[in-house]
Amino acid sequence: MTGGAEARIPEPLATPLLSVDDVHAGYGRVRVLHGVSAAVEAGQLVGLIGPNGAGKSTILKAITGFARVSAGRIRYDGQDVTGVRADRLVPLGIAYVPQGRLVFAQMTVHENLEMGAFTVRDAGARQEAFSRVYDLFPRLADRRTQLAGTMSGGEQQMVAIGRGLMVRPRLMLLDEPSLGLAPRFVALVFETLQSLKAQGLAMLVVEQNAAQTLAIADRAYLLELGRNRLEGTGADLLANPETRRLYLGD
Amino acid sequence: MGTDLATAAQVVVSGLLLGGLYALLAGGLTLVFGVMRVINLAHGELLMLGAYVACLLFAATGLNPIVALLVSIPVLFVVGAVTQRFVVNRVVNAPLLTSLLLTYGLSLVVTGTAQAVWTNDYRSVPFITGGFALGEVSISRPRLLAFAVSLVLTGAAHVFLTRTRWGKAMRATAQNADVALACGIDIDRARMLAFGIASALAGAAGTLVSFLYSVYPEMGRAFMLKAFAVIVLGGLGSFPGALIGAMILGVVEAGAAYLSTTQIAEAVIYIMLLAMLLVRPHGLLGTAER
Repeated sequence: MTGGAEARIPEPLATPLLSVDDVHAGYGRVRVLHGVSAAVEAGQLVGLIGPNGAGKSTILKAITGFARVSAGRIRYDGQDVTGVRADRLVPLGIAYVPQGRLVFAQMTVHENLEMGAFTVRDAGARQEAFSRVYDLFPRLADRRTQLAGTMSGGEQQMVAIGRGLMVRPRLMLLDEPSLGLAPRFVALVFETLQSLKAQGLAMLVVEQNAAQTLAIADRAYLLELGRNRLEGTGADLLANPETRRLYLGD
Repeated sequence: MGTDLATAAQVVVSGLLLGGLYALLAGGLTLVFGVMRVINLAHGELLMLGAYVACLLFAATGLNPIVALLVSIPVLFVVGAVTQRFVVNRVVNAPLLTSLLLTYGLSLVVTGTAQAVWTNDYRSVPFITGGFALGEVSISRPRLLAFAVSLVLTGAAHVFLTRTRWGKAMRATAQNADVALACGIDIDRARMLAFGIASALAGAAGTLVSFLYSVYPEMGRAFMLKAFAVIVLGGLGSFPGALIGAMILGVVEAGAAYLSTTQIAEAVIYIMLLAMLLVRPHGLLGTAER
């Protein structure tokens, strides 16, 4: 399943870009993850699927420091980033798009994207990032002066994804990007993920829309109650009778 | 009829002049609330410190209080930033009551220390006096000066918040701290900066107040209540709302003081506040909490 894209970065030990090893994590005293492992290689789209309460979103929150990791290790690009707060991960090339189409509601579309580029100090690179995102979502270009809070759910999700892309990340963590969107926007989200993958961006995507995610994922993990249940290529899991029985409603 | 109109104009002008000062004070209070959901009950004490900076400098060197702003603004910025970093930041995510208690405690400590160091004596800074007539309306020179400086500083703060990188980062932190983190914004730094700026604005207001009113350790209390009324009127966390709320409060206060006594004027303010909370609890320009 590995494409030729990784060839540009020589990785002698073939260590993945991101690895989550036996992570236990939760909020306050509530444990949600009881030893979960996952890995994302450079340029791969990895899906995290599973029923509600499986801890899918908590994995992303554990990586970004929003959930407390009590045991286990998270490594990114050769360094230990366990417990490192989200704002310090951004300069390393990790973008996080939280669940719920979160935007700065009282700011314009353009200002939202500008905030996404907060850590990009070079004016040329910022300009380049704006045109890249506006090319990807022409709809946002038309509405750059509109307050993000007044947009539709699908448009807000574009703002949220676009904001994450402003730093030219190497890895993007997406939490339920298609949740609650109108069907045409769901299709747009999956098209966008595919085109980003084609551009070599690695992604870890939490989704309740399992079938569509598995269809485009290089690898996927099925979680249940805070533990790994199944893993494999997207196609493997899609074909797996257990996934279908447990989760796809066959 | 002519005199009635002149009286009304006089009330409005006096009220607006007062409102400018309230806007400067309340802008910081609303900024801190917006960025960290903390109502800083020690905000009035920061004004008091700003007034003492002007007083002490004047007593020592005869320094013009407008020039004293160049001292009070940076000094209060540092006081605010340090207080936020080491004290207030500990309660940012705590329930509102915790931060209210903490900042109330801070206000008592600062007032008490000021009483011990500077005594309870009333001080004043003799600066420009008098006024001039504009038609039938008389305008006090010191109040006009305080108003003009207040507007310049409030405007500068507004430009900072809407145009600069860290200003926008502070607004982003106010709107959604988690997403701000995901953008790579160090929200602790944004909060420290916000508290520093808020303190600097309060300190500047204090320096301006020093040549309008008496300066004494407990002077902050009445101003704090007015700043609080302003941000409830204008909408908690809204900077333009604070400006509008401050002007309304100033005019209502001047009008009520003309029609009755100062004490009743104060009562009118709180009745207005109560009515606002009942009718539109998120203020004129504030956004309703989810």
